[in-house]
Amino acid sequence: MTEQTKPEIGLLEISSPANFPYNYSCGRVGSFFFKALRDEKKFYGRKCPQCGKVYIPPRPVCGPCFAPTNEWVEVGPQGVLECFTVVSFSFLDPMTGKKRPVPYGYGLIKLDRADSRIQHFLSVNEASQLRVGMRMEAVFNEVREGKLSDIKWFKPVE
Amino acid sequence: MKAEQEILVSHQVLQVPFNYSAGPVAGKFLAALRDEKKILGIKCPKCGIVYVPPRGNCGKCLSSLKDWVELSGRGKIQSFTRINYQEPTHPAHPEQFILAVIKLEGADTGLTHLVGEVLEDELEVGTLLEPVFRDYRKGEILDIRYFRPVRK
Repeated sequence: MTEQTKPEIGLLEISSPANFPYNYSCGRVGSFFFKALRDEKKFYGRKCPQCGKVYIPPRPVCGPCFAPTNEWVEVGPQGVLECFTVVSFSFLDPMTGKKRPVPYGYGLIKLDRADSRIQHFLSVNEASQLRVGMRMEAVFNEVREGKLSDIKWFKPVE
Repeated sequence: MKAEQEILVSHQVLQVPFNYSAGPVAGKFLAALRDEKKILGIKCPKCGIVYVPPRGNCGKCLSSLKDWVELSGRGKIQSFTRINYQEPTHPAHPEQFILAVIKLEGADTGLTHLVGEVLEDELEVGTLLEPVFRDYRKGEILDIRYFRPVRK
């Protein structure tokens, strides 16, 4: 048995694909929200009877109050861009299983009549063309399945 | 609005591809599989235990290990089972997915690997197996396609 190690041995890499497909139930509240995106292209928030906050995406229980939310409120379709970034680092999107094409704009939008923000892609990927306070609206895909990706992105309102 | 009873299911795939350097000990073992179709063990100079797969330090006495031993590749089943459900990460199809812990000749530890070319009910503890190598090898444990019973 030779003592010499071949040069490539130290560089030998073990690679692991490590794919973890998983499914989870959206629940009644989540399903209502996603179905409205799919079937009506509308956003519905969920209102807390105690503090009156409207949550979007909707929550079955209000976080600060612990009260079950009890009312659907239509919100949007437009909103205000409250913060944004342009992402240059690509990673494997768990929703699609593919790498996200970079650069892409991503932001938090406070839809009209909602008290919380929804995060999503933006049609603009140049930071110089984005501004906190811009009015945005959702662009929906032609084919919708009842997922957040039924919204293609948010674009500035002309 | 469609049926209110419809509950949606979100299907996602979390992917965490990663690579890591095999290092000098595992690297040599894997390179021997790839380049020579040989299974190597490593022997502790103090307690004499031969490890396969090889490791850098003895689990018992913590001595540094560097004495390599070429093994015949044949060994006996210590235990085995058939996995009869499917996951994307599985290396074999449920009908052929038999895993065994194999005590290779010349080694003191068991090696876990697939068993092929045989039905589960033909196997028993003590069945003598031999490795079947792939034609195209990459330097990974599955360069050994599976172990199969030695048939006279």
